Amino acid sequence: MRRVLYAFGAAGGVLLLGTILHPGFASWPSLQAMLVVASFTGFVAAGQMLVVLVGGIDLSIPWVLNGAAIMLTTTALGQPGRLPYALLVALAVGAAAGLANGLGVAWLGVPAVVMTLGMNGVLQGLSLGLSKGLTCATCGSYAPEPLRGLFPLGALLVWAGVALLVTVVLTLTTFGRRVYAVGVNPRAAYLAGVGVRGVTVALYTLSGVFAALAGVMLVGYGGQPSLGLGDPYLFESIAAVVVGGVSILGGRGHYAGVVAGALTLVAVTTFLQAQRVPEYGRLMIYGLVILVILLAYGRTRAHD
Amino acid sequence: MRDLAGRLGYLVLAATAVAYLAVYATGLGRLPTAFDYLSILNTTLPLVFVAIGQSLVVLTGGIDLSVGGTVSLCVAVTAVAVTGFEQLPLVLAIGTACGVVNGLIVAAGRIAPILATLATLPIFTGAALWVLPVPGGSIPPQIRAVLTNPDLPTGLIWLGLAVAGWLVLRRTRFGMRVYAIGSDAGAARAVGVPVERVTFGVYALSGLCCALAAVFYVSTTTAGDANAGAPFILTSIAAVVVGGVAFTGGRGSAVGAVAGAAALALVIDVLFFAGIDPLYQALFQGLFLVVAVMLGSLAMLLRRAT
Amino acid sequence: MTSTAPVPTLHTFAVRATGVDRAFGGVRALRDASFSARPGEIHALAGENGAGKSTLIKVLCGLVAPDRGRVEVNGRVATAFQELSLLPDLTVAENLLLADPPRGRLGLVRRGRLAPEARRILERFGVDHIDSRAVCADLPVSHRQVVELVRVLATEPRVVFLDEPTAALPDRQVEWLAGHMRRLRDEGCCVIFTSHRWREIERLADRVTVMRNGTHVATREKLAEAEAVTLMSGRTLGAMYPEIPPPATAGPALSFSDPGGISFDLRPGEILGVGGLAGQGQRELFLTLFGAGRPARVTVDGRPIRIRRPKDAIRAGLGIAYVPEDRKAEGLFLPLSVRDNITLATLGRRSAAGFVRRGAERAEVAGIVSRLGIAGGGAAAGTLSGGNQQKVVMARWLLADARVLLLFDVTRGVDAATKHDLYRLVAELARAGKAILYYSSETEEIAHLCHRVLVLREGRVAAELPGPVRDAERIVAAAIADGEAHA
Ligand SMILES: Nc1ncnc2c1ncn2[C@@H]1O[C@H](COP(=O)(O)OP(=O)(O)OP(=O)(O)O)[C@@H](O)[C@H]1O
Ligand SMILES: [Mg+2]
Repeated sequence: MRRVLYAFGAAGGVLLLGTILHPGFASWPSLQAMLVVASFTGFVAAGQMLVVLVGGIDLSIPWVLNGAAIMLTTTALGQPGRLPYALLVALAVGAAAGLANGLGVAWLGVPAVVMTLGMNGVLQGLSLGLSKGLTCATCGSYAPEPLRGLFPLGALLVWAGVALLVTVVLTLTTFGRRVYAVGVNPRAAYLAGVGVRGVTVALYTLSGVFAALAGVMLVGYGGQPSLGLGDPYLFESIAAVVVGGVSILGGRGHYAGVVAGALTLVAVTTFLQAQRVPEYGRLMIYGLVILVILLAYGRTRAHD
Repeated sequence: MRDLAGRLGYLVLAATAVAYLAVYATGLGRLPTAFDYLSILNTTLPLVFVAIGQSLVVLTGGIDLSVGGTVSLCVAVTAVAVTGFEQLPLVLAIGTACGVVNGLIVAAGRIAPILATLATLPIFTGAALWVLPVPGGSIPPQIRAVLTNPDLPTGLIWLGLAVAGWLVLRRTRFGMRVYAIGSDAGAARAVGVPVERVTFGVYALSGLCCALAAVFYVSTTTAGDANAGAPFILTSIAAVVVGGVAFTGGRGSAVGAVAGAAALALVIDVLFFAGIDPLYQALFQGLFLVVAVMLGSLAMLLRRAT
Repeated sequence: MTSTAPVPTLHTFAVRATGVDRAFGGVRALRDASFSARPGEIHALAGENGAGKSTLIKVLCGLVAPDRGRVEVNGRVATAFQELSLLPDLTVAENLLLADPPRGRLGLVRRGRLAPEARRILERFGVDHIDSRAVCADLPVSHRQVVELVRVLATEPRVVFLDEPTAALPDRQVEWLAGHMRRLRDEGCCVIFTSHRWREIERLADRVTVMRNGTHVATREKLAEAEAVTLMSGRTLGAMYPEIPPPATAGPALSFSDPGGISFDLRPGEILGVGGLAGQGQRELFLTLFGAGRPARVTVDGRPIRIRRPKDAIRAGLGIAYVPEDRKAEGLFLPLSVRDNITLATLGRRSAAGFVRRGAERAEVAGIVSRLGIAGGGAAAGTLSGGNQQKVVMARWLLADARVLLLFDVTRGVDAATKHDLYRLVAELARAGKAILYYSSETEEIAHLCHRVLVLREGRVAAELPGPVRDAERIVAAAIADGEAHA
């Protein structure tokens, strides 16, 4: 729990620094814009956190996200009436990819890095191939209006809903208890009757769904999908999870921290843009900030 | 069967090579020429070097995500600053310095490798952009003639040197200690292995390998690009895994990773000559990766069952 | 050499610690601890779990730095740590020669020489039945322990620390180790070992140092067991083994029949011992019954049931529970709270629509914690003492209304006072009608606690002895009886 506070402290610190140097940096419109950008990271990081909690990792996020985004627009064809169906299809694509990841990891014993890396390639190939490099007849469709109208407040409500859902599931349900048990000691969890494989499969599936949700929200925000839409979100999701105080070894962490992590990362980027720092500087400072946060509380325990 | 997992890389490479010969022969009605082999070799060399560095790190139970940034930075420096052989040591020094930074953060800062290198990745990439804001630059032809001569098999010499370098390293105390740490760092410390020093060395070597890869990369592609390294993150991990190096550390070898890298490169040619739409390339590469590793873990399962 | 003055002994001690403090986080593992051992003696370190024996050894051999105090060592030190420090992915040869591998002219390791050189070392210690080319992870635990000991002894040290060297060692290898310890002592080496088995200390040690709560309590040449236990625990224990209530006469709670050669009935209130030499299929039997090994068929209350995974075994109505010997690896979730540890197996019964009913949970946990006397209930399981941790695992299964308890070497590495308490808990559970299958690496426990003993050899029942057997030698005799004739 202390790490969650640190994470919020980091976010607050960046915002404070921004306000001092740029009056209006933390004004409501500016804050709102940052929150919307952070929400995309928040969605993917929700899934990433769930698999990290059991000591796994999901590298398939970029193309699950991208594939779902393309699926949404090509299914909805810009017609509001087709939106519910299109949403279902997009999220189902994410769920299916996540399910396959989970089955590969839990039942076939493929290391998570390999399984999800391979899945990323598979989905990239399928997305590119089936949409002919996003030049297919329906590929120019825009996201239907109701989805685009969600921004900004509706989108933030969706994020709040996800945050509530993840937190409630992890802290109040039997499933949540089992997740932490599997993360801490899978062998002991198995011997205590926990269906370790089932839990693992469920978490990877959820990660796929959350990545797809991020894809849906991103096309709603941008109007149209693009190729490489998901690329930044792989490292972004891991960074948010880590800055949020989730242990990369599994078994420890809360979504509240991840929310703070996503905010911190977006605030840093926004601040550097406001400072007109060139891209190379933004990248370097971004890395340094993560490093400093890691050195502050991400260190493994001293051995002697 | 333990051996089978260790030889995964060679088996996969052999299978891919057969597939390559088959599709090439059916597609063109003749066998590949020396020129074909040489061009495959030259384009594979950068990945071979990154994979050797990555496998060293993975053998200690770590992972180096920053290879993307280090390669990018060294590519940028090579493209901008190298006008003759005299400047090559500078590139190697810069790559090693990147590795040293990682090594310090992991060994002395006690930060999980995946996180430490996740943080240094944008730092090195940023530095690359600073050196080379837009793609460009080149490497002098006299260097290319020595490194990746399109007409003479010079690449073979470098490949041989790389493998020989590993075989020597494997026979040093450092090499033995790498395996010891990957097997169980706590136990290794207890029996007197200087865990921090070896860990540090492994990341430094990975940086050096990235610099070598960058030089070969610029040599084969004629121009530099500050984002050139990004694909190497995932492909080097794939090469290591297909090469039979265990992710938990302590098992496998860099030669296996070299075989893995060659197999990954060959797959692209197999797809090309099989007439697969390039848009689907990633699909087959992904399947290849998963299936290759699945065969490895299936072998392990069978072993346990018997 | 003409001087008549007595040659002053430069060092009257081989190792010495004076006023050493060492804390881990908030835990003070050593407080003002002092210790000294001489060359040419076998010195035992005794004390309860958590008394600080291992920490003292780590401080003495330089692996852990003391916060305060002085450490002096004379001569080359070698240590076998409590947690095996064998590298699992390396071969036996690489493990033995890691510190000083054979090298050629260029200083490069001659990999071809590793295996033969290692075999010579193994031969020197009379254990060349172990293949020096085998990967350690593939060896049985007892062989790994032997390799670890050979690695330590082969360095020809002047000071040897052996931290619970016999915990995973079959009786025959204990004899082998004892021989080498005596040889080293006779060669003037200082041998320091720890053990929770008093008989070993009595047989081997020239002197004993008792520790309690991180401090030196006493060092003696002769020490009776009763007094030692009092010194270690600070309390006086009565008889070690409790009265075992007579077994019930009801029908079997569980029947198991395995075509492989083991079959038995287990009645409510019965404690059925599983004996035999180490590694004769005891662990496999326990895991199979719990669904964590091969799929098993058992008969419960006359109904045949298939057990394919632990979930099946735990299910209400069947209620089989497994308490493992390695509670940290297989039983506990150290960073999680005692509550989470206790209720994990029964969450389903205390939930509504997938939500944990916290009120009910709190009440049940409070009840079982006070019934078993678990100290430190609110904290993370990792902060509890070893005995309390073992009770937490027991509590989990008692909450699950387990009717059959599979207790697998639950006293391994546990100190005398906690053992004393655990024996009583076992007897009380039997009295309450639980059916108990009991294995221990200390045959004496089986001899005293069990109503009946099955002696296993090579995965089959070699003999069945009515109990209480009391004399452990009879179980050992049955275990090796015609095994020797075969050999
Ligand atoms: N690395 C560590 N981190 C935290 N606490 C530790 C560590 N090592 C030891 N301790 C604590 O210090 C105390 C002494 O531990 P130590 O292992 O020395 O006891 P011991 O006498 O060897 O016990 P046992 O008989 O169970 O092996 C215990 O409370 C233990 O939990
Ligand atoms: Mg100890």
